[in-house]
Amino acid sequence: MYPLFNPNKTALTPFLFFTGKGGVGKTSTACATAVSLADQGKKVLLVSTDPASNLQDVLGVELTNDPLAIPSVNNLFACNIDPEASAKAYREKVVGPYRGKLPDAVLSTMEEQLSGACTVEIAAFDEFSHLLSDEDVLNQYDHVLFDTAPTGHTLRLLQLPTAWTGFLEESTHGASCLGPLSGLGEKKELYAKAVESLSNPEKTTLILVSRPDVSSLVEANRASSELKDIGIKNQLLIINGLLQTHRPDDSVSTAFSERQRRALKETPEALKQVVTFSLPFVSYSLTGVDNLRHLFSSYTMTVFEDDSLSKETIYLPGLNKVIDDFSSKNIRVIFTMGKGGVGKTSIASAMAVGLSEKGHRVHLTTTDPAAHLAYTFEGGALRDNLTISSINPEIEVKKYQQEVLLAAGEGLDEEGIAYLKEDLESPCTEEIALFRAFADVVEKSENEIVVIDTAPTGHTLLLLDSTEAYHKEMSRSTGNVPESVKKLLPRLRNPKETGVVIVTLAEATPVLEAARLQEVLKRAQIDPKWWVINQSLYATDTTDAVLKGRAVSEIEWIKKVKEELAPQCAVIPWLHEEKIGYDSLKEFIDA
Amino acid sequence: MKKVEIFDPAMCCSTGVCGPSVDPELTRVASAVYSLEQKKFDITRYNLGNDPGAFVDNEVVNKVLLEKGPDALPLILVNNEVVKVGAYPTNEELAEWLDVKTAELQEKPRVRVSVKFDK
Repeated sequence: MYPLFNPNKTALTPFLFFTGKGGVGKTSTACATAVSLADQGKKVLLVSTDPASNLQDVLGVELTNDPLAIPSVNNLFACNIDPEASAKAYREKVVGPYRGKLPDAVLSTMEEQLSGACTVEIAAFDEFSHLLSDEDVLNQYDHVLFDTAPTGHTLRLLQLPTAWTGFLEESTHGASCLGPLSGLGEKKELYAKAVESLSNPEKTTLILVSRPDVSSLVEANRASSELKDIGIKNQLLIINGLLQTHRPDDSVSTAFSERQRRALKETPEALKQVVTFSLPFVSYSLTGVDNLRHLFSSYTMTVFEDDSLSKETIYLPGLNKVIDDFSSKNIRVIFTMGKGGVGKTSIASAMAVGLSEKGHRVHLTTTDPAAHLAYTFEGGALRDNLTISSINPEIEVKKYQQEVLLAAGEGLDEEGIAYLKEDLESPCTEEIALFRAFADVVEKSENEIVVIDTAPTGHTLLLLDSTEAYHKEMSRSTGNVPESVKKLLPRLRNPKETGVVIVTLAEATPVLEAARLQEVLKRAQIDPKWWVINQSLYATDTTDAVLKGRAVSEIEWIKKVKEELAPQCAVIPWLHEEKIGYDSLKEFIDA
Repeated sequence: MKKVEIFDPAMCCSTGVCGPSVDPELTRVASAVYSLEQKKFDITRYNLGNDPGAFVDNEVVNKVLLEKGPDALPLILVNNEVVKVGAYPTNEELAEWLDVKTAELQEKPRVRVSVKFDK
């Protein structure tokens, strides 16, 4: 029903931004588009701006900040802007010249201040705007593709230009919060140019990528309207992973296809106005240049190994074992973590339901900016011992701003208040507000089990990172730090109290990302207890050729998780119905 | 006119709202300095976080820092002489140094109203 997306047949602008809910295939789509354009003889630069980028997994090459020629594809160059690394480089640029001139203790206070979330955001934006406004880049490349992964991050990254141009203009007395980037004023022109490029339809196209499922379509719609509002109006939508045909005699295949069609019917009205293409659901995984090339040549099938791999090869328990484990060990705080789109919300919800069924008092909450908790419980009646809340970044920021103005605004004159308000508009305020909200919820676990459905990976990392910074900061803060905030990190680190569940799909990118996430958590002295492999086709009995192809390709990743990565591992088969409502969530547990 | 200089510790923002909680002392100083600047007094703040050069170039400041380390901040200089170490000036002190009334530091800004009369 939608024409197949084909970069050879569609005229594309020089700058292409891929956005969408985590896990919808932005990276593979961006890579396949880049490869296809390069194969046409266009000179292409592919840029990742995600702190937890998986571009290198898909291309099979180690990437750095500097564009690198991809050996197997002529004309294709790729780089990975790591905001953490940029922030570090920036920090050294500021502090370096003063080594030996100022005492070490003084230098380390500088470094500490330059380690905050704002510096990272600013450094990333800085790199990003260079590419957007540098004439040389446009002269050198025909197309620059940005693979911007988790949506929350994408939005912030893209929204910054407008916010900052306004910020810089309004700041008459030196924008104090932008302090971490001294000499920002000089860059005003650069940023203005970046904003201009973004909103110029001749230069920039926003490519919304969505799966044919309700939650990723809702997210695409949200991104579409938000970005339209800030002037990025040239948009197109790609429905990725559309099942072309199905076997009527195969229940999984029929349900799979039905579910996709139903979801597409419910596409939000505004999103229907966007020019839409599709990409087929394919039996192979979209890694490696050869497979990427196949995508636009409409190959949906490849020969897969025959059935010698029987179901008995891998035995894994279901989600009920995870719930039993946490229930018997009296775990008080439970997180689900993982790349966006792997089903953290469903699994967190199902665990909350399972624990409440066992008689525990449970509170379920989410920090996911693309929260669908309300949706997950739609129509279902809640039990008395299960409560739900969500941490909405926008609301939390407003709450925090009001609280600050109330506490500190007393005795200030109007201009003083205006001055304070200006700092409260800064990028780091959101991180702080979110962190406090997060701490408040965890505080509740003294009376009940708290199940937290965290945000996509990149965001989660930033959140945890600010946890660290927070602790350093607190030791010398003079203001009143809420008790909940002080107690948070030690609680997260206590294995008797906290259980971290890593959710993944049996595919290359989600598994590799989850492995990286686990590394980062371990560095922060947090040890995940369980891995849950969600939406496994291998765990179903499908006979559909395309789905079966996928099921077979899951094996190597299930094995990797079970044998190398997870301390304990559970699997949930691909389920026929989307889990909406309390009763159907229970089905999830026993599947 | 006397010259007042405030050498701040490394801070993300001078109002303090970026910290884990707001320090009312910082917001008071920020707003007092702002109102003095508006009145064209010679008062300047330097933030170690984004202007470390000032902490090296000023010999008095550099000497104190080398002796006492970061705890010496905030460091206050009046006419290039150290008047306060490790704490911000009170509004009274600021008023005394710059010879203004304390009340002026909290004064509400005058609102200019233009009235048009239809003739």
